Amino acid sequence: MNQPSSSLSRRDFLSKTTAGVGAGLVLGAPTILRAAEAGSSDKIHVALCGMGKQGRVLFEAMSNIPGLHFQAVCDIWEYNRQSGVAKVNALQGHKPTAYSDIDEMLATEKGLDAVVVATPDFWHSPHTVKCLEAGLNVYCEKMMSNTIDGARAMVKAMEKSGKLCQIGHQRRSNPRYRFVLDQLINGNKICGQIVNINAQWNRAVNSSRDIAFSPKLIIKQDILEKYGFKNMSQFMNWRTYRDLSGGPISDLGAHQIDIFNWFLGATPKSVFASGGRDFFKEREHFDNVMAIFDYDTPQGGVRAFYQVLTTTSAGGGYWESFMGTEGNIKMSEQTAYTTLFREDSAPSWDPLVERGYLKKKAALPKPAANSGAIASYESKPPEGFELPGDLPMVKTASGNSPKPPHQPHLENFFAAVASKGAVKLNCDARHAFLSEAPIYYVNPSALSHQPIQFTPEHLSV
Amino acid sequence: MSTETEPCCQTPKLGLTYGALLLRLWLAVRAIQTGIEKYAGTSVSDQPVKMDGAANSYGLSAASSVKEYAMSHYHGVPAGLMDKFKAEPLMRSYSLGSFTLDPLKIYDVVLGPTLLVLGVMLLLGIATRTSLFLQGLLYISLTWGLILIKQDDGVSWLGVHLVLIVMALALADHNRFAILKKW
Repeated sequence: MNQPSSSLSRRDFLSKTTAGVGAGLVLGAPTILRAAEAGSSDKIHVALCGMGKQGRVLFEAMSNIPGLHFQAVCDIWEYNRQSGVAKVNALQGHKPTAYSDIDEMLATEKGLDAVVVATPDFWHSPHTVKCLEAGLNVYCEKMMSNTIDGARAMVKAMEKSGKLCQIGHQRRSNPRYRFVLDQLINGNKICGQIVNINAQWNRAVNSSRDIAFSPKLIIKQDILEKYGFKNMSQFMNWRTYRDLSGGPISDLGAHQIDIFNWFLGATPKSVFASGGRDFFKEREHFDNVMAIFDYDTPQGGVRAFYQVLTTTSAGGGYWESFMGTEGNIKMSEQTAYTTLFREDSAPSWDPLVERGYLKKKAALPKPAANSGAIASYESKPPEGFELPGDLPMVKTASGNSPKPPHQPHLENFFAAVASKGAVKLNCDARHAFLSEAPIYYVNPSALSHQPIQFTPEHLSV
Repeated sequence: MSTETEPCCQTPKLGLTYGALLLRLWLAVRAIQTGIEKYAGTSVSDQPVKMDGAANSYGLSAASSVKEYAMSHYHGVPAGLMDKFKAEPLMRSYSLGSFTLDPLKIYDVVLGPTLLVLGVMLLLGIATRTSLFLQGLLYISLTWGLILIKQDDGVSWLGVHLVLIVMALALADHNRFAILKKW
């Protein structure tokens, strides 16, 4: 059973996260789950709460995991509900019970082991707390909540119930991220001293527009209001409303800012942010946000710059770049965006290539010899490398493809459930809170045009 | 005056025979291997990345793809072209009562086996003239498809094939080493 220490300090949460879990458990998870597949009584009985876009992404990832039985589906929108029922039926050969209300589901369904919560952010905390109090283990999508108090309530509910609560920061279970942190940054210290972090998620306007809906599929007004939505448009586009979500910085940024804190083993001491409604002028949330976090780490000070732009894809997608005195690791869930560079003055990485820890990339083109006086101020071009592997392949309807990025994190959760906590969660609610807490202050900093210096009260449960 | 064939006149006849055989062989190989390639695909194998000589403990894998031949890989019309053909009004399917006639689907199914059969017939010299003629018709059908989707390079390429077939037919009287010379 997962019972994280409530006295966990902000500084050492990384080390406990990494060392406590152990890389081998990532590999061990499918083995434990295959054991659960043996008989239906051994299966993990799962309810799916929220079958919108993200709920379907999670379901697709779970459909590759052995030993799961999807017992119930819950969504207030009939369209999502029926779609979820059909998908589950197609996977396991019989329909799950469908519910429009989570209270009814929790009161009716017997024998559930776990609930996967993928509802809008402002429902994460109430739904997760309800499920934990009902004695169920919970996998909840990030951001934990639209408010820091909602997130605090989740941590308290997890610790009071003694149940497992994994937050969907899926990179924490990604073999590539775990390998980079354990072996390259901490083990072989290829970055030297990390002095800066730069990360972004830049998304084109067309991918950020409001989601349209068919008038035939509108939810009745009284149902919408019962669940906190003013109308169908707000239901479809809840991510753009202040009372319902944290906006792009939490929607997209939380994944990556979590990696800052995880990799540095620290939480920031301050944040200074700027944001604006530059294109989507009618929206409540900023469409473009930039934030600078200041860290004190055992190695020294680090500044981390993050930008989320929902108005342009210029700049090459989404990635996190860890810049050190000896090397730079540019990470992304997308293999294509991942590159490592060795500074010319750093010790050779060839031994790591020989040991299988890195692969060398083709040499970068050299600048022209006579590029003028400015060249004398430039550094030599760094040597390029790439990671030696990717997520393993899984069989899908369209052939073999890399394991979906959420699958390892879900495997870790269900392995923890199957082992009754012997397998530790890679991102339980307390660790997720420590990582997410600074993000709740980005929008306030941008709104007030003032930096915010964090105190223990800001970042503690 | 001697009635025997002059040595000087035997050489052109032998040359024509060689020419006929080379053309026959080229067209046969072209058809057979094209037919075989319709059954080609890739299998992706996934191996754990080795670090320090042993499989890594993180679950990192390295995928490598290998070309292989299997019935399950069969694709008469390449997938990239198939989508373009489907968008063509002249390629639409026809409903005949309860039966739906889909010429594109039929063509997709028969193209590979037809290339193989015609290629083998040509290689073995079974009804060489007829097999050349049928192969010519097949290339004309491919040409028509490529005209529809404006693949002008492919049209020219197939035109060259057709010229070679016509040349082979012109040299058919000099054909040798054939199992069935009739037709």
